Amino acid sequence: MNEVLLSHEVMVYLLSESLLYGLLLLGFLVSLRLLKLWDFEAFTTQQFRLETQSYLLATILLFMIVIKLGLLPYFVYTLDTLSDIVPGAMCGAGVIKANSYGNPLLLVKSITLVLLGIWVTLHQLDLEKKNYPYFRIKTWFFVAIFVLLSVEYGLDIAYFTQIDIHKPVTCCSVIFGQVGGANALPFHLNTLQLLLLFYLSFVLLWVLIVSHKVVWSLFGVLLFAFFAYYSVVYFFGTYIYELPTHKCPFCMLQSHYYYVGYMVWGLLLGSVFVNVNRVVMQVFFHQSVETLQRLSWLLPLLFVLLCSLYVGVYYLKNGVFL
Amino acid sequence: MIEVQGVSKTYNDGTSQAFDALKEVSFCVKKGEMVTLLGVSGSGKSTLLSLLAGLDRPSQGKIVVDGELISKLPDLHASRYRAKGVGIVFQHFNLLESLSVEENVMVPLIHAGISMETLQSRVSKSMELASITHKATQKVKALSGGEKQRCAIARALVHDPALILCDEPTANLDRANSLKFIEILQTLKGLGKTIVVATHDPLFENLSFVDRVIGMESGEIVQ
Amino acid sequence: MRSSPFFHFLLRLLYQQKGKHIGAMVISVLMIFLLSSVLFVSSALQHSMMQTLQGEPDFTVSRVRAGVPAPLPLDWIDEISQLNGVTSVVPRVYGRYYFTPKGDSFLVVGVDMFDEQNIHAISTLLHEVNLQAFLAKPSMFVGEGVKHFLKRHYFSDHFNFKMPNGHFKEVAIVDVLPHNTNLLASNMVLMPLALAQEIFGFSSEEVSDISFNVPNDAEWRTIQNKLQWMFYDVRVVTKKEIKEAYIHLFNYKGGLFLALYLVAMLTFMLILYQRYTMVYTTERKEIGILRAVGWSINDILRLKLYENMTIVGVSFLVGVVLAYGYVFLLDAPLLRQIFLGSGTLLESISFVPYIPFGLLGSLFLMYAVPFLVAVLVPAWRVAVTPPKEAML
Repeated sequence: MNEVLLSHEVMVYLLSESLLYGLLLLGFLVSLRLLKLWDFEAFTTQQFRLETQSYLLATILLFMIVIKLGLLPYFVYTLDTLSDIVPGAMCGAGVIKANSYGNPLLLVKSITLVLLGIWVTLHQLDLEKKNYPYFRIKTWFFVAIFVLLSVEYGLDIAYFTQIDIHKPVTCCSVIFGQVGGANALPFHLNTLQLLLLFYLSFVLLWVLIVSHKVVWSLFGVLLFAFFAYYSVVYFFGTYIYELPTHKCPFCMLQSHYYYVGYMVWGLLLGSVFVNVNRVVMQVFFHQSVETLQRLSWLLPLLFVLLCSLYVGVYYLKNGVFL
Repeated sequence: MIEVQGVSKTYNDGTSQAFDALKEVSFCVKKGEMVTLLGVSGSGKSTLLSLLAGLDRPSQGKIVVDGELISKLPDLHASRYRAKGVGIVFQHFNLLESLSVEENVMVPLIHAGISMETLQSRVSKSMELASITHKATQKVKALSGGEKQRCAIARALVHDPALILCDEPTANLDRANSLKFIEILQTLKGLGKTIVVATHDPLFENLSFVDRVIGMESGEIVQ
Repeated sequence: MRSSPFFHFLLRLLYQQKGKHIGAMVISVLMIFLLSSVLFVSSALQHSMMQTLQGEPDFTVSRVRAGVPAPLPLDWIDEISQLNGVTSVVPRVYGRYYFTPKGDSFLVVGVDMFDEQNIHAISTLLHEVNLQAFLAKPSMFVGEGVKHFLKRHYFSDHFNFKMPNGHFKEVAIVDVLPHNTNLLASNMVLMPLALAQEIFGFSSEEVSDISFNVPNDAEWRTIQNKLQWMFYDVRVVTKKEIKEAYIHLFNYKGGLFLALYLVAMLTFMLILYQRYTMVYTTERKEIGILRAVGWSINDILRLKLYENMTIVGVSFLVGVVLAYGYVFLLDAPLLRQIFLGSGTLLESISFVPYIPFGLLGSLFLMYAVPFLVAVLVPAWRVAVTPPKEAML
């Protein structure tokens, strides 16, 4: 038996994911019935029953998104604990590269969270109307999310069962290190240029949100996320580790850095999540959700402040930059 | 205020046990009116009342209350309609037995988005109107029939609804308590509430403050 | 702080209907208590092991002949010292001394008392010891478990070791090793190398193993290979291998336990599902009443969710606190035997609290997710009770 599967964290994680998938399957069966028989104009007992069953689907998905929001950082924490038994790994960065399923899994997890968030917002809008105008589109959207969540579950199983603890993996200094010109920044940027673009893209995002340029703000947030990722790994991260050569997105999730990585990546993911959600609601459904509006500028701001704070505090303590 | 147009209700539709509780009922109730639906058990008056309350939906027809079509409202909106605009007094009181009088009275206001202080003041006012303040902290299961009915009235009034619906309100009361209840109804009529009472109690037949009596039989209006 | 009417109502309802939930809570607390206790003990042991390992040498070299450990010659020290990158090469003699044949035993460890590192380590452990007086006559330090054991056998300040040549050697007990070393040193005896050699019948040129450090971990692989080439019957164990072995052992044992616990958890889920599906008439009526007076299905679902979250939260807290008291205040009676065995020499071991935040997170997920999944469908079923039907 693969020893990785005996690790407490992996067992707890896979148990939670399996139970959620069981619920999801139930939701899928309900959704098929709803799509086949739904007719809001009908005054039949069957239609009233279908309306109550739609609440089951909604309850399952709302429960799912709350648990998955907790399971994502727990997944990352699990990767970190596995670095003790996977040879060569010093943090989650090495563990995620233990096989070819790791990176796709992380990407699919992020996408499904965004999609679930959009579904929940759409559902709230649908309930507010008196005739369920978005019911069919919402249910078909769920079917698409179900397919993606099935892929995610399959990747979960494949990933954890295929980690070979006898095969050493590369550590973050090789994956992200820039010694000898390795892992160069995109577009051959240097650090200063990257920082400039990071802050400029943040300002641009704010301007686009405040001036209600909805579609453009989507490009704005994706651009911001792109530069933010590289800035955190290749600049801000070094101030978290207080070591100019330590470039890794995972190590900051560990206890000796006070788990600040969860806050950093959580704020960035949250910023993308909220902005994509807001844009989809406004473009496709012409609805403006106040909470999303507020969070769409607040989360990026907190993220930028947190990252900049590390640099500022380092400078104040030491009088120099790294 | 209330417009009922061609409303029918069939239970167990599509089966061999299909039963028409209401057949093409139509009538109107003006704002501030008090209407009594008079009829024996099984005449359809309780079914009609539950449709007016948005607790159920008709199989055919329309019900419009204050310009809003309530006969096709989804659950969230039907609940809001009841929470904001309808107070219901049931035949069997339908109180939460394990809770106290004031806890029962506060139930309709819990999702009203008001503070605890505002809620408590509205609860006190409502209990005063129903003359049940002296039993505020007592558990409902320890109350007499008349006291339970007053608690139910207080609950029905706490959110200041425009429409009051009463389903056989005096069926489980003695004559003295029934008369007290009728007095309260008179007070509410005086406050401008629209009241619809479904009953077969003869006490309601010749009341001076009742604007109209609608007779029902086998799911149809007969007078 | 403005109090919320909803939470006020929720707490009142929970209090009034506590009888309904008491069964689920009791079983929950028991399950969390059991799981937490096992994981707390495991975590404390693992942490103590890892902490002790920090002070261990990077490499330990021993000899194996016919698959059985054999003494190695002292002159290996010179050969090993000549390897580049190797520091602090130190010989050790150790073995198990049986008080009675097939009976109680303790670990005798002989170290070079003139070695700087050892002197420093001993001074750190035992502040007031006079090393010169210690070395003047045969003397030893003993662990707490050994001390109590010898006292019970009327040896209060010395012990007579029976040697392989049939003679007895009286060795004075100078001091007791500190309480916080009990996990590893409770049944240990520390003495000069030469004395240990005498007790086990080793010649003065023989030792059990040789330990050393290699500060540059990039050299570890090379050193290991060189040792293998130098001596055909050598066995090399690195600190990292020991650490991985411990982690594998804890994962393996812990994992098996968790797998069994999973079965119990799934059974509990089934019971919960059955219990909460059996919605009694009174509960249906209550939900019908709430819906009749203006509560929507969403409102009822919210009530049910918070109800269940409160049960989960309270059960978890109570279970974890009870487990903490059981393991770290009472030293886990009964459970400690499963982990440590039942030898009398192990009675003085106590567990040092070490509960990483991730462990609490795992515990919570392990319990909360199955619980909430089990009650989700029953909660929905109750929430969609048609108000008219429930009030009949």
